[in-house]
Amino acid sequence: MRKSIFGLLLILSMVAIACGGGLEGEEVLMFGAPATDGPDGKAIQASFDAFEEETGIIVTYVGSENFESEVQAQMEAGNPPDIALWPQPGAVRDAAERGFLIPMADLDVDMDAYRTNFSSYLVGLGEVDGVAYGGAHAVNLKSIVWYQPAEFEKRGYAIPATWDEMIALADQILAEGMTPFCFGMYSNGATGWLATDWMEDIMLRTGEGTASYDQWVNHDIPFNDPIVKNAATLLSQIMHTDGYVVGGTDAIVSTFFGNAQDPMFERDANGNPGCFMHRQASFIPGFWPEEAKEGLGTETTSFPFPAIESGLPPAALGAGDMWGVFNDRDATKAVVEYMLSPDYFTAIATNVNDAGSTRISAHTGFDTSLYWSPVVQAQAAVLSDALAANSFRFDGSDNMPPAVGAGSFWVEMTELAVNGPSYIDTALDNIENSWP
Amino acid sequence: MNLDNQKWYDKPVTKIILITISLTWMIPYIGFVLSSFRDEQAVKRYAWWNSISSGTILDELTLQNYSEILFAENLSRSFFNSFAVTIPSTIIPITIAAFAAYAFAFIDFRGKDIAFLFVVAMMIVPLQMSLIPLLKLMKSGAILFGIPLIPELNINGTFVAVWFAHTGFGLPLATFLLRDFMMSLPRSVIESAKMDGASHLTTFFRLALPLSIAGIAAFATFQFLWVYNDFLVANVFLGINPRNMVITSHVAQLTVGNYGEAWHLRTSGAVISMIVPLIVFFSLQRFFIKGLIGGAVKG
Amino acid sequence: MENNLKNRLFSTGIRIIAFALFPLIWFMTQAILFRELSKTADRWLLITLAILVGSSFIFILYLGMNKLISYAPNQYQEALFGAMFVGPAIFLLSLFLFYPAIRTIYLSFFDNRGENFIGFENYRWSITDPSMLITIRNQIFWLVGVVLLVILFGLVVAYLSDRLKRGEAFFKSIIFMPMAISAVGSSAMYKFIYEYRPPPLTQIGLINGLRVSRGFADDGSKCGNNTFTDNGEKIGYTSDGCEVPVGWLQQRDLQNFPLFENLDPGNTFLNLLSNLPLNTILLMIIMVWMFTGFAMVVFSAAIKAIPEEIVEAGRIDGASEGRIFLSVVMPYIRSTIIVVATYLTISVLKAFDIVFVTTRGDFESNLLAVKMLDEYFKFLNQGRSAAVAVIIFICVIPIILLNVFRNKAENTI
Repeated sequence: MRKSIFGLLLILSMVAIACGGGLEGEEVLMFGAPATDGPDGKAIQASFDAFEEETGIIVTYVGSENFESEVQAQMEAGNPPDIALWPQPGAVRDAAERGFLIPMADLDVDMDAYRTNFSSYLVGLGEVDGVAYGGAHAVNLKSIVWYQPAEFEKRGYAIPATWDEMIALADQILAEGMTPFCFGMYSNGATGWLATDWMEDIMLRTGEGTASYDQWVNHDIPFNDPIVKNAATLLSQIMHTDGYVVGGTDAIVSTFFGNAQDPMFERDANGNPGCFMHRQASFIPGFWPEEAKEGLGTETTSFPFPAIESGLPPAALGAGDMWGVFNDRDATKAVVEYMLSPDYFTAIATNVNDAGSTRISAHTGFDTSLYWSPVVQAQAAVLSDALAANSFRFDGSDNMPPAVGAGSFWVEMTELAVNGPSYIDTALDNIENSWP
Repeated sequence: MNLDNQKWYDKPVTKIILITISLTWMIPYIGFVLSSFRDEQAVKRYAWWNSISSGTILDELTLQNYSEILFAENLSRSFFNSFAVTIPSTIIPITIAAFAAYAFAFIDFRGKDIAFLFVVAMMIVPLQMSLIPLLKLMKSGAILFGIPLIPELNINGTFVAVWFAHTGFGLPLATFLLRDFMMSLPRSVIESAKMDGASHLTTFFRLALPLSIAGIAAFATFQFLWVYNDFLVANVFLGINPRNMVITSHVAQLTVGNYGEAWHLRTSGAVISMIVPLIVFFSLQRFFIKGLIGGAVKG
Repeated sequence: MENNLKNRLFSTGIRIIAFALFPLIWFMTQAILFRELSKTADRWLLITLAILVGSSFIFILYLGMNKLISYAPNQYQEALFGAMFVGPAIFLLSLFLFYPAIRTIYLSFFDNRGENFIGFENYRWSITDPSMLITIRNQIFWLVGVVLLVILFGLVVAYLSDRLKRGEAFFKSIIFMPMAISAVGSSAMYKFIYEYRPPPLTQIGLINGLRVSRGFADDGSKCGNNTFTDNGEKIGYTSDGCEVPVGWLQQRDLQNFPLFENLDPGNTFLNLLSNLPLNTILLMIIMVWMFTGFAMVVFSAAIKAIPEEIVEAGRIDGASEGRIFLSVVMPYIRSTIIVVATYLTISVLKAFDIVFVTTRGDFESNLLAVKMLDEYFKFLNQGRSAAVAVIIFICVIPIILLNVFRNKAENTI
């Protein structure tokens, strides 16, 4: 009796294996950093849902805060997703060098079309020895400061075009008893990246602009070079001037970057917002409270990060993600083809499911008038101009070795925030010494 | 009983101390469970104790969070995956351990002492020691001096990898405890069964197993809760593919996940994850405590 | 004679089959069966089969071996049954624990990719690298703090609750309940208590919420956690003089608190105190909360086992309660305390979930078990990761050995 039950179950299992395939549509798993239930995750999923309706291929997007280490674990364990979406091009190249990724040419990708449709700068970021592994996906703009025009107008504040004007404005706000900046850099396991973004934006606008920026990222100039020190000093001015940031200097490292801007949407007893300016990338509206999201472009919008040294052409700092593919199944190939077409971004740009994603397509042929918010349209224009003028630079810390870009640079910037301006030299020396 | 003999511990002060302690222990649950039933905006805008004192709490109560987390967020899937991981991960090591324990207790064979010493020695190996190579083993098999002992398996990311991992980690302790338990059974009963011509397998199933049911239940309860609550092993061997993700990984993702500080989902998700352990705990408390005390030496 | 040799060979063969071949076949079959199933079967079928077949498949192994042994000559059957019953356990332990552990030790002497032998370099790193030193410091904090506090609370609660006339079971259940739920769930609860949000947002974390609603602002108005007065006015906490909220899990020391600002360098005590790692202590509280119930249950059982007459005799002699506790109760439960301490020590050395889901090791709150995975998956350094694992192992060995030997000694008595 007992044996016949075993037998039955075993036969059932065999049957399940034999006839399971082919009944449903093929499944493809994509794994990335934006949270599954966050705006970007939802928007990406919406785009794949449209794809599923057309082709029957079921693509599932999964995001995780610990994406970087989890995808490493999966690669090591031999169960990687079909497609991974990396926020750092350096990590894509690393995975490619270790032999985990399939070259794009082996995925039936028309490489000539790819190189025409995407900017050569972005294409180059995904290449190892001239072979393309990482496909450009989406970009975002980091050189912006968020503010509320109505609050500025009410008080007669002008949008600062230069660093000095920004400082003057901050002093004025402070003198009127309010707080100029929102600033929060806590990020679980990655605390410090916000300050590195500030450093990069300042570096692009000081010294020799993009030229010295590139030297710095490639370690052609030491990390404690006077240009870098100057940048750190300027950043420290924001972080450590009494009363400049919400909650005081101590709060910078405690405030989660995602709700750092929330004080701007609150009003105190006198009707004043908690802060007036917040320098953060174009993706931050995804983190705003629901009411604030509705005011994107009207109540809350952005101005370009001010120029610092005169005579330098404007430059744009940005970041983005890049996908890498782990297998050459036909379903995966079809998904890759879809992601390289302008159609892929339609659902994301038009905000079909009200996800509120503000990602910008890396595809140069994408119709920017489709973006659901004028703010995103404007940012897309800035990005494409900068890419065309070669003044776009990718987040430098993502292109430094992980020990620095995701290690000492983050840690020392956090230390700098905590310890104050006297720590600048130590911080830069420590980073310099940690460069492998 | 004379009045002089009234003990200090009968005085109200003892009760006050105890009540204070138990209230302190309850605080984490109160706000957390309450917030799992409050609507999203309320959780974000008003502190839960302020809602209680202002009386608005009744208007805030909702089951919305639970339907969202279970269906939209698919926690229900992770919930059933947890059973597919936990039940085999409990039964497999207990079965293997029970057979081994029987042999250690009632069969005389060569190498018995060395074999038992090996089992005890494995108890001191902490999980961390074997985690990564085991992960590699489940992927590409094992090669010893160039001889492929185990061929390429590629089972990471499927339930079976986690069963094996938990089998490995639970086996030494299970064997040790069950051997102790079987040693305490009356040897004469087993001997007489053998006299009657029963085979070892029959004796095992008919006598040893039923008699050790208390010991087995203790370890089973312990192992069940251990596996169900485990995050590390599940996270390393299963990963985050939502098809196979277990409930602890899901809750951990919600807790770490930063989008919009979604406390209404974090609370409801975590509360759902606690239901099963609490049911097991309240219905099998006696066995659990036994297993726990035995588990004191789990390596 | 020749027949004898044949028999011996035969039984050796069966022994090998029982020890290795059968378990191997079982292992491979189950692995491949479920690997293929999870590729093709739909979800409900997979879960059902996982629970039914996954659990029962193991019995086939033993039934099959039993069949095989029944063909063996009678005089070897007893020994073969021994092999059959023990074989799979030994095989799986070798495969799942012994081989991987040896491999970890081996890898700890190699570089990040496991390719070049570098001697003790990884161990040198693990006791000189600043982040490792912090991790080790935290681990010691946890070991001392958690073990002592849990034992202390456990003893107090067990001793007091034992004297309750009513409600002992209910009371104990409350303290013991955290032991049943996952560390991930517990950490989520405490993260909610420690929650920090930037001003002027409502503080929904208990500690910050209570903190900011205390006292009065400099202008005499009341501070409040964005509550409302009867006539609808909002009471905030951003006015000067109100307490500011604190990101508790980001405070690696106490230097941001008024008592420790502008410290007199001569005041050694306060200076030392100001370096207490606050976030580590707050995370330790989670573990204390979880494990006190365990200590309580074990101590309670031990205390109940003390003969009532002995305690009564002490009382009649007029000994004070404290004296009775120390000289009568303590000797009885000393060995129990050692068991509890052992269990806690091992649990702390392997503590992973709490730090992983709260701070992820940021702000100097890391622990060895988290560091080990970080080194492997974040910094891609197999060698260092293996070295950290070996350090955990080395710390665990003496504790377990102590316990096993003590157990043995007690059993022989």
